[in-house]
Amino acid sequence: MALALAAGGLLAYALLWASPYGLRVLTVAGVYALASFGFQIIFGLGGALSLAQGAFFGLGAYVTGILGSRYGFDASVTFPLSLLAPLLVALPVGLAVLRLDSHYFALATLGVAQVLHLLVVNLPDLTGGANGVPGVPPFALFGWSAPRGLPTTALVWGMVAVGGLIGWRVARGRLGRSLALVRDDPMAAACLGLDVGRLRLTAFVLSALYAGAAGALAVHTQRVVSPEVLEFPVMVTILTIAVVGGRGRMVGALLGALLLIHLPEWFRGLERSYLIVYGAALLLVILLAPMGLTGLWARLFPPPGRPLPDPVEPPARPARNGERLRAEGVTKDFGGVRALDGVSLRLEAGVIVGLIGPNGSGKTTLINALSGLERVDSGRLWIDGRTMTNARPDRIARAGLARSFQAAILPDDATALEAVAAARLPLDRRVEWAEAHARWALERLGVGALADRLCHGLPAALRRRVELARALARRPSVLLLDEPAAGLTDAEKAELAALLRALAADGMALLVVEHDMEFLLPLADRVLCLDRGRRLYDGAPDGVRRDAGVIAAYLGGVGA
Amino acid sequence: MRRGVVSLVVGLMTVAGAARADGLSFPVLVPLTGFLSLEGTSQRNGALLALKEAPAGLVGAAETIDTGTSPEAAVTALERAAGGGPVGAVAASMLGTQMLAMLPLAAELKVPLVTVSGTAAITEQNNPWVFRFFPGDAVTKTAHARYVVEELKKSRPAVIYQTTAYGQSGKTHLDSAFRALNVTPVFQEGVDPTAKDLLPVLTRALATNPDVLVLHLHAGPTALLLKQAATSGLSIPVVAGSAMHQPSTAALLEPAELKGVCAETAASPVSGGNPAVETFTASYRAAFGKEPDAFALGQYDGMMMVLAAVKAGAKTAEDVRKALSVGRHDGLAMRYASDGKGNMAHSAVIVCYDGSNRVPTLVKRYDNVTGVVK
Repeated sequence: MALALAAGGLLAYALLWASPYGLRVLTVAGVYALASFGFQIIFGLGGALSLAQGAFFGLGAYVTGILGSRYGFDASVTFPLSLLAPLLVALPVGLAVLRLDSHYFALATLGVAQVLHLLVVNLPDLTGGANGVPGVPPFALFGWSAPRGLPTTALVWGMVAVGGLIGWRVARGRLGRSLALVRDDPMAAACLGLDVGRLRLTAFVLSALYAGAAGALAVHTQRVVSPEVLEFPVMVTILTIAVVGGRGRMVGALLGALLLIHLPEWFRGLERSYLIVYGAALLLVILLAPMGLTGLWARLFPPPGRPLPDPVEPPARPARNGERLRAEGVTKDFGGVRALDGVSLRLEAGVIVGLIGPNGSGKTTLINALSGLERVDSGRLWIDGRTMTNARPDRIARAGLARSFQAAILPDDATALEAVAAARLPLDRRVEWAEAHARWALERLGVGALADRLCHGLPAALRRRVELARALARRPSVLLLDEPAAGLTDAEKAELAALLRALAADGMALLVVEHDMEFLLPLADRVLCLDRGRRLYDGAPDGVRRDAGVIAAYLGGVGA
Repeated sequence: MRRGVVSLVVGLMTVAGAARADGLSFPVLVPLTGFLSLEGTSQRNGALLALKEAPAGLVGAAETIDTGTSPEAAVTALERAAGGGPVGAVAASMLGTQMLAMLPLAAELKVPLVTVSGTAAITEQNNPWVFRFFPGDAVTKTAHARYVVEELKKSRPAVIYQTTAYGQSGKTHLDSAFRALNVTPVFQEGVDPTAKDLLPVLTRALATNPDVLVLHLHAGPTALLLKQAATSGLSIPVVAGSAMHQPSTAALLEPAELKGVCAETAASPVSGGNPAVETFTASYRAAFGKEPDAFALGQYDGMMMVLAAVKAGAKTAEDVRKALSVGRHDGLAMRYASDGKGNMAHSAVIVCYDGSNRVPTLVKRYDNVTGVVK
């Protein structure tokens, strides 16, 4: 409603009151909004600080500038090619740099911008060098040319509307939700079956398309393309728009662009002092709205809760007895430390295996190796008979393995339903289905009432339940739990134990890492004890208390 | 800061106290921030001084807008200025890419742009609304190369230029000028204006055994390179581009570091030469607390020619354009006349520093280089 009113107000301003100057500023704001939509996808949703967005913007501008000015092509040729060129650059660059850590990724993408800038400056025959290419015609399509003023503004904002709608659908759809999960915790996302690399590449390419479109429109309104479009201030403007507007929100990009582009114009009469006032105003906005303008709006006017979907049980994997997971001779070294030394393990349907050992014995390393988070140096792994040795975590997850972490990893600003639904995103074609299945998982874990509560602030026990629901929502055949009882009361432990038994009864194979023997030994059908990366004991729970080696290495006097 | 406030007050007084010259305004759209802020401020000051000293009976009104360094900001500024009522002419940015961006809009709005930009391309767009009151590279680089070859008798120049529009345009014209004099530079390399150490390029240049160093750099890089050259004991003469003549550039160097350095420029007001120029320099110092340079003087001359046209009866921007296109103007720096493309300035000078102070001496004039001024 508020958005519709704001859009109406903007339209009335453009149609009734705006001077040619006002329309031009509005047009520039539209161009930057379009570029920022793309940045919201890669940075806001995907969490990757791409400093190549300005470069893609400039690339789109140069393609349109050169083809329009030198060869007289209209937008039917220049516009698609202005999208294609950034895409063709983004694909190989993305493949090369998207797996880098955040700051290295940012530097690598900044390098792209630098290379492009150097190229355009030093290829004057093609790009006009530092002078650039003047005489770029206005936007023209099939004989119609957009005159300066209202038609150009309407054209740009028409594109903004289309781009914003697509971006909004992306953000609310499977891709946007998956990217948010990747942003919040790439490791957890991978363990939920999301192909982090492919998702980031998709986001990177999408962001490049938006930037190319914005660059093409910019050069039509500017009528010249020069190396300034590839310089850092363009990138900084886009980044600032995203942050001030509200990270990850298309409306945020829109508001941020309108504010950031108009703000200096309001103070322009102060000559060079306007920069001080502009900076102070910007600082004030950031202080008042640290989560951006959209965050401030949500704080002042909390949105009404969404109706929850009815629970729907997700399809289970084909029932199968016997072995679900087998690991043989798994060895893993960290430098000079051997964390796992030829560990072998079998997990069978309906069986709960307890994994114990003193601190540093290799329990978490083993779980990480089984779930693909650590590459093993030697040894082999099968899940449901399929070789999964050193497969990526998302492949292992899709093969049927789910896991939890020592500290429940849930996105703070997502509801429990959204957090659990994220686990279904690789499996369900629509977000609505994923949420219905997530609701079922929450109900199954007895926390259905938490569906619309934010994960932030949930007590530890409930967080574990929600995390378990997230693992369960995938209907895995193998479930690895890392210290699930930590921090729980006796009553909560009893509930958890009953729940795990029920899951095993459904045919799931469970591996439970736990220090709490009072919880684990009655629960487990079998216990595996590690010490310094080696298997020390593998047998019945009762036997572990009598095993001299275990007593010496781990239990001390407890079993004596 | 205090000087900035003074400048601002002068500007505001001009605006506030103005009865517009026949209803026309003369906006000043120049880069006051960014890497061209020094030159842009000179432009602004020159324009404002001209408007303040408008011919009797006229008072020029001006709004000053910072264009930064992006073409986008320049176009927006022009659109804003044009929306403020009838415009007689605009004192427009000296940054070539900003001028190239403003030209189509100026033609559409029918507003003359009066600038001191040295970028050759701005008068090669068949746009009748641009007027350059600073010799273009075709003039200054001819003078630059002729001084090196004919006066200094050097034949192995090493050329270091900037990788900006200004730098590339200058380099292209230096190439032509040296070729016309049958001289081939032994070294040519472009440097980014943000480079913080120019010793590597200087070392590479000296490795080619040049007999003169020819610079075409912005103000900051010129000062940096000269400082590093002085520190490393450079023994060959240096003939720099117009940025060197700016008092603000010289202020970055010790007088001893300037010894033997020469520069091409349109004019050097601080060097004096005639009473009118000395009066201008004194007025400029009084108004802005700074030393004027050739950009300030060129912009002053340009706006004075515009105001003279209004005084002579120009009622509209089109009248002003016509007057600039066909008229002549005896400015303080030189006599101006259009070559049909908007190039109004056709003279250049060479100034040199003797190492005792930061005020250069005019050593050579190259008048009417293009042969346009009859």
